[in-house]
Amino acid sequence: MQHDVRSGCCHPTAKMAAPRSCALWSYCGRRWSRLMRCCELPGLRSSWPGGPLGARQLSQEKQATETHFGFETVSEEEKGGKVYHVFESVAKKYDVMNDMMSLGIHRIWKDLLLWKMRPFPGTQLLDVAGGTGLAWVLGDAEELPFDDDKFDVYTIAFGIRNVTHIDQALQEAHRVLKPGGRFLCLEFSQVNNPLISRLYDLYSFQVIPVLGEVIAGDWKSYQYLVESIRQFPPQEEFKEMIEDAGFEKVTYESLTSGIVAIHSGFKL
Amino acid sequence: MATLLRAALRPLRPPPGHRGPAADVLLRGVRHGAGQLYPEHIPTSPLQKVLLAAGSAGMALYDPYRHDMVAVLGETTGLRALKVLRDQMKRDPEGAQILQERPRILLSTLDLDKLRSLPEGSLGQEYLRFLDVNRVSPDTRAPTRFVDDEELAYVIQRYREVHDMLHTLLGMPTNMLGEIVVKWFEAVQTGLPMCILGALFGPIRLHTQGLRVLVSELIPWAVQNGRRAPCVFNLYYERRWEQPLRALREELGITDPPMLVRALA
Repeated sequence: MQHDVRSGCCHPTAKMAAPRSCALWSYCGRRWSRLMRCCELPGLRSSWPGGPLGARQLSQEKQATETHFGFETVSEEEKGGKVYHVFESVAKKYDVMNDMMSLGIHRIWKDLLLWKMRPFPGTQLLDVAGGTGLAWVLGDAEELPFDDDKFDVYTIAFGIRNVTHIDQALQEAHRVLKPGGRFLCLEFSQVNNPLISRLYDLYSFQVIPVLGEVIAGDWKSYQYLVESIRQFPPQEEFKEMIEDAGFEKVTYESLTSGIVAIHSGFKL
Repeated sequence: MATLLRAALRPLRPPPGHRGPAADVLLRGVRHGAGQLYPEHIPTSPLQKVLLAAGSAGMALYDPYRHDMVAVLGETTGLRALKVLRDQMKRDPEGAQILQERPRILLSTLDLDKLRSLPEGSLGQEYLRFLDVNRVSPDTRAPTRFVDDEELAYVIQRYREVHDMLHTLLGMPTNMLGEIVVKWFEAVQTGLPMCILGALFGPIRLHTQGLRVLVSELIPWAVQNGRRAPCVFNLYYERRWEQPLRALREELGITDPPMLVRALA
């Protein structure tokens, strides 16, 4: 989920300048906030007309309908808070666990995402659910604190699965992208091979929570992780959701037999 | 082969009348709440128990401060020993009462003021002093999660809470040396694999001086007392706060330790 700047996630030739005007915002209140990172590559001086963040009106409270939290059923109100606590709990051992669970393969997936993106100096990139980075803004993926048509690329890696209203996150992605901008999502998906699927299930449900318990002292968060992966729509369905949000030329590429997929769409 | 694999992956046998998990859910573990026998219970398959046992053993050795790993090791390997212990308790009148009433030794259940007011040398006083000197609290014990039997889950919880009593009874501090001595006593008393493993592998992390003293004096003393004493888990400690510690030791046949093991700073 995290695009860790320290591990050199960005394309090697694109230099990361310290952005001069990414302000820090913290959201109080019942809507829980996700960390976002905005990378300002050199060549772009004034990225935010009239102050770092456009004024956004917060919407009303959500209806108390039900949704899934892994295999559990919870109210939508609850889900945000529960997901927050999961990530609060896993944050400390996050990178170690990613390496242990995927045997380092998550780094290759992230590299592939960047390769697809091919950012160049001057690209305005928004990486949502990115954890920490050079400059970051606290906000809500379902209601981004940015004006319309701001970014060239919007990425989200291993984050959208945890959002309560994925369709809203997609709509927001569409809104903040410039015309011609690209949406890229790296996320766990459905395995296409039946044998590998069984092995993957076995590994996910039998081994991963144990790893979570032994390494991080946290069985439940990793149980949630593997369950939330099963709850996320498969490649085709997610493609349709992206199209519903207004994106065009939507494509996807499955990696590692479909364990993860990179979805791409354009705002035209 | 397939049935064996299925058995290894199935979390626990559902009670009669319940439908077992469907084949495709088999690999995925139980549905939320299904098979949960007590509030903190996490049902696990035999394969998961094996992985947990191996992982927790390794991690506990690698990082002795991971007390949660010692607890997990105890839970995943202790089923047989816990049954034996539970049956021992059932046969004893005081033990049976404990199983019936399920007392807990927690800060919320202890009347600290009352304990402090007890005479010098009483069990209650000495227990409090032990907590103070070693800077520990009875509330740091994690709840049982991986024992697939609700009564046995209590038994292991009781074992954990009585552990501090044993420190007091044996006069052992909570440093590495003291813990190993108590583990030897517990290993003899309970036969819990976690105690046996802790007793055997704990000394790996000791310096040679401690090791020498341990092997020549402390272990023989612990083993002797462990054998001689009746099952210490049959004692309703909460009803014995006023009893002088010396008298309790005599009752159990526990002799004074061969040397003073200091609580290191």
